[in-house]
Amino acid sequence: MRLFSWWIRRALGAAATLVGVSILVFLALRAMPGGFAETILGPFASEEQQRELAQRYGLDDSALAQYWLWLQAALGGDFGTSMISQEPVADELSSRLPVTGQLAVMAVLAAVFIGVPLGVLTAVRARADGGGTVGRLLSGLGVSLPEFVLGSIVVFLFSRYALGLSVGGYVPFGDDPAANLRAMILPAAVLSVFAISATARTTRDAVLNVLVEPYVTAAVARGESPAFIIRHHILRNAAAPVVVLITTITAYLLGGAIIVEYLFNLPGIGSYVVQAVGRRDYAVVQAGVLLAAAVFIVLNVVADLLVGLIDPRLGVTATGRQT
Amino acid sequence: MNPFLVVDNLAVDYEAPDRRVRALDGVDLTVEPGETVGIVGESGSGKSTLGSAVGRLLPQNAQSVAGTMSVDGEEVFGLSIGGMRRLRRERLGFIFQDPIGSLDPTKRVGAQLKLALRGRGSAPDVARHLERVKLPDPRRVARAYPHQLSGGMAQRVAIAIAMASEPELLVADEPTAALDSQVRDDVLSVVFTLAAEAGSGILWLSHDLAAVGRRCARVAVMYGGRVVEDGPAAEVLARPAHPYTDALAGSAPAAAAPGERLQPVPGRPPVLTGPSPGCAFADRCRFAVQRCAVERPRPVRVRTQDVLCHRAAELAESGALAAHAPPPSRMAPVPVPVGEETT
Repeated sequence: MRLFSWWIRRALGAAATLVGVSILVFLALRAMPGGFAETILGPFASEEQQRELAQRYGLDDSALAQYWLWLQAALGGDFGTSMISQEPVADELSSRLPVTGQLAVMAVLAAVFIGVPLGVLTAVRARADGGGTVGRLLSGLGVSLPEFVLGSIVVFLFSRYALGLSVGGYVPFGDDPAANLRAMILPAAVLSVFAISATARTTRDAVLNVLVEPYVTAAVARGESPAFIIRHHILRNAAAPVVVLITTITAYLLGGAIIVEYLFNLPGIGSYVVQAVGRRDYAVVQAGVLLAAAVFIVLNVVADLLVGLIDPRLGVTATGRQT
Repeated sequence: MNPFLVVDNLAVDYEAPDRRVRALDGVDLTVEPGETVGIVGESGSGKSTLGSAVGRLLPQNAQSVAGTMSVDGEEVFGLSIGGMRRLRRERLGFIFQDPIGSLDPTKRVGAQLKLALRGRGSAPDVARHLERVKLPDPRRVARAYPHQLSGGMAQRVAIAIAMASEPELLVADEPTAALDSQVRDDVLSVVFTLAAEAGSGILWLSHDLAAVGRRCARVAVMYGGRVVEDGPAAEVLARPAHPYTDALAGSAPAAAAPGERLQPVPGRPPVLTGPSPGCAFADRCRFAVQRCAVERPRPVRVRTQDVLCHRAAELAESGALAAHAPPPSRMAPVPVPVGEETT
């Protein structure tokens, strides 16, 4: 019963959020100077031409009528067609989703398999040598280094010196996995620098917090070895904040890594939506932002469920202590 | 028989960023195998540091600067890491103050007990260990998470875990401080019964002189990082030979008759930054003379007690330290009512 009402509440909250986001995006797009017709036809088009084009796409209706029309269609699963390519928005987005998805998965895998062990290691070592300064500096640098700087350096190095990996030249994984990985590994690496650093840092802090818990002292007092204590008592107890961070990074990356997609010329969602903003391709922007918001909402739920599984005190159905 | 624990002139310092604090200032203590010893002192007296030092569980910023401590002949501060681990695993047991906090919050009680049994524990074994600490419905407790238990139940689980390896010495640092007064006695009964069955000695750290006196064979009173009085529990309680013990006994709620005022110990305990030049209690002592502040007292024998006081013999003869009514004897384990509930 408790779980059921939790799901209802979450679903209602998600629906309200999505509607709110769609309204915000709609308003923001209409508030931008220069509508679709002006942008497409250029500065020298006559007013009549502009009016004609606007009429063709129903852009001369009132904003409320336009939104209502869009909302009805969207509720029915129809996100409209791109005014530029004349293709259905859903098709365009889903053809770009694999690129963005692959980038996100590669960066997040790196965060999990490099960032988490790094964080545990630096935390345990920080207790031993009292510092861990190098690790802290590196992760600080990784977190604060902007993607466009790092990405530009990588692009420059690899296009100038041909170090065996290609910059650009995206091939779908299904067509040629090796070529696909060659094209994807650099952008994924650029994205993973932030993901790894942030994960390592959060893991380190979480582990340091757990290390001072009385149950760790109790385990030491029972004569357990450090490896045993880390495996049985530390990893799971430190996992909650790391899981939340990693799901957030995943959601963020799935919304499109705009700069990296641009730099490496990848046909992902981020660059597509940004392009659509420039061309006032309203339906595309609307659907793209909505998709990113939906991903965030879903992954938030996933994070809540995972945290509940990890720590029974924090579960969505946790009853707390009743004595 | 050789004593199990021998502490000889042990001094331990804590290194703070701005200063050095002396927690133990030359502790002497021996515990025979199977002996029950209560260490009594205020917070800051060094009793917790002493308890941690037995298992070399001191915080990173603590270091032993003088003296020795040996467990069954093995020098604790000279052992290798592996040797220390073996000592903790096979010969020592610990119970801590925060019962729920000392259990892993993400593991069911049964799973934790199983880990403590080092994989040898089947489900019936786990249930048997939980039954031994008088937990009702052990199967249900085994499935519960620590946060679903009451403090008393969690402490019983912690006791079951600590006693699973039948340690030769159980160090219990204020194991009942966080518990309701009704539950305290039951939990203590469980500890002392199990320890007696296993032949384990107990080092029970507490601030409650009367409670310690009821349970332990011997009492050592700590003040300013030293053991100032050490003797049979009944004697120390009834006829304290150190002014501090006397003051402590006078300040206990049990010592006052209804309507009578409790006698607080005036002043506050010292924070030492190095070896105390004289007797650490001199500032608060109503019998202090000039010598007390400048000369460290050496242990003297008064009746059955070893006492660190320059005037101990003189005070004992003059009868200046009041005789205290012996506390009601409660040495026999009290049957534990089954009444605590999960969730």
